[in-house]
Amino acid sequence: MASVTLRGIQKSYETAAVLRGIDLEVAEREFMVLVGPSGCGKSTLLRMIAGLEETTEGEVVIGGRAVNALPPREREIAMVFQDYALYPHMNVADNMSFGLRLRGLPAAEISSRVLDAAAILHLEPLLERMPRQLSGGQRQRVAIGRAIVRKPQVFLFDEPLSNLDAKLREEMRVEIAKLHQRIDATVIYVTHDQVEAMTLATRIAVMSGGRIQQVGSPAEVFSKPANMFVAGFIGSPTMNFIEGQLTAEGSFTSPVVSMKFPGNHGRPGAAVLGVRPDDIEAVDSGAPGSFAAELEVAELLGHRKNLYLKSGGAKLLAVVEAAFNGAPGSTVGLRFRQDRLHLFAAADGRRIA
Amino acid sequence: MRPGDRLISTDLSFIPPGASLDAYRNVLGKTGFLSWLWNSLVITCATSLVGVSLASTAAYAFSRFRFPGSKLGLLLLLGTQMIPASMLLLPLFLMIVRLGLINTYLGMIIAYSVSSLPFSIWLLKGYYDTIPRSLEEAALVDGTTRFGAFYRIVLPLSTPALAIAFLFNFTTAWNEYLVARVVLSDSRMYTWTLGLFELQGQYLTQWGMFAAGSLLVTIPVLCIFLYTSKWLVSGLTLGGVKG
Repeated sequence: MASVTLRGIQKSYETAAVLRGIDLEVAEREFMVLVGPSGCGKSTLLRMIAGLEETTEGEVVIGGRAVNALPPREREIAMVFQDYALYPHMNVADNMSFGLRLRGLPAAEISSRVLDAAAILHLEPLLERMPRQLSGGQRQRVAIGRAIVRKPQVFLFDEPLSNLDAKLREEMRVEIAKLHQRIDATVIYVTHDQVEAMTLATRIAVMSGGRIQQVGSPAEVFSKPANMFVAGFIGSPTMNFIEGQLTAEGSFTSPVVSMKFPGNHGRPGAAVLGVRPDDIEAVDSGAPGSFAAELEVAELLGHRKNLYLKSGGAKLLAVVEAAFNGAPGSTVGLRFRQDRLHLFAAADGRRIA
Repeated sequence: MRPGDRLISTDLSFIPPGASLDAYRNVLGKTGFLSWLWNSLVITCATSLVGVSLASTAAYAFSRFRFPGSKLGLLLLLGTQMIPASMLLLPLFLMIVRLGLINTYLGMIIAYSVSSLPFSIWLLKGYYDTIPRSLEEAALVDGTTRFGAFYRIVLPLSTPALAIAFLFNFTTAWNEYLVARVVLSDSRMYTWTLGLFELQGQYLTQWGMFAAGSLLVTIPVLCIFLYTSKWLVSGLTLGGVKG
């Protein structure tokens, strides 16, 4: 298994810059997820690692070897495509063994590797089938199998689950997680789905606008987002943002709430308070440390309840116990969990506290 | 099968009185029909092979790569189809003369395969455009070269379009008369179209032999058509990608 290093990667098509300087280290055996909204350049970055796209600027290093000038076949990578890209004129076994046959491996070695991969992915009964006779989930497993048999240095996944329906996606997500534990490989995985990112990754790189916004473990990215973009992108439902002012002494004032952030943050001025819906408690109105909000809509999800509220001109979403009772239009007391608040500078969106 | 002296009889019986296979025997034995047929076959097969292989690679370049002049090139190819063939005869003749290829197979093959290239290129390019690029990218990652991806993935998937291009090349070259008339003057090199025409004399036309010959020349085309039709199955790319 190999590490992957990206240094100062830039990509532009004619005048449009797609990637504006990407530096990233992916350690051996790491499961790195590149996540971001569509158009952020994550797929382009992956294709550059694969060698399917040329780099305008910068260096791609796989296993200590600069591979910029190498074609995909010499990079010792395997890739799983969003649309599976199975060869339609070959059956499952031939699809999986295609790369091995090209490399001229002995027939016995090829068939044992294919059977191993088929066993891992529960594909044994399907080996003789043609791709058109398979369901979406089966095709995706074949595509993954085709990558496994190659025993590459690095696995690249380009939104592999986005074409599957919700239930199948969950199953495959677990399958991929198991697979990573089992084959212990370096994986770079592109997705726009932050749930996939959170559940699969050893580390997440959140991308936006052709730049990496933050790299860190799922827990870090979730609990200490580096800026407002990451805070808003990671986590579901989305974080609430409350605009206000921060003084040099660290007191934050807004029409909704006012509170103290101890310590001198040195960046007084317009600021944004971020709080996740799960970190808002519904309390009796008038309870200490609480503020009042008007309940607009309550949605019961079964185990939890989503409350859509309005307070001081700002809209808030709180996720509370299903047992919560409150009629739309009534006033509710809310309290933020003080240790889970995020404060950002309004000017550039960077995290202050 | 009607004897030559009863050509204008209005008798509609399916097997006319005095029916014989004389016409067939004569056309095969007493004329150069077999050698004309051979000439046609050589020229046509070579034309189809050369035409399809040139078109398949050129169309791939037009379909997959963006290079300076790629759009203009396609338009020019289309433009050549708008010039009437008869206008091209003289320049074609001059070129072939300068190349010293009058009365040769090579001259005919070049003239034929080049004239059907534009159609074949457009046909194949259109088909390649429907083949998902990710298939080739997967092959590249799996270990093929660019050409390997074309040869192992794109070509096998394009058999329906290749078959059509081959058929088109074959039938046009097989039935061609004008260019052959211009390039070939030695009767030993005649294709069957020129040969059969020879049977029409100023005072007497051997209609029996003419008809028999016409019937015989359809056989190779028929065989080719029946053979290629098995490749004309659509939906080959089905199932490779999500869609």
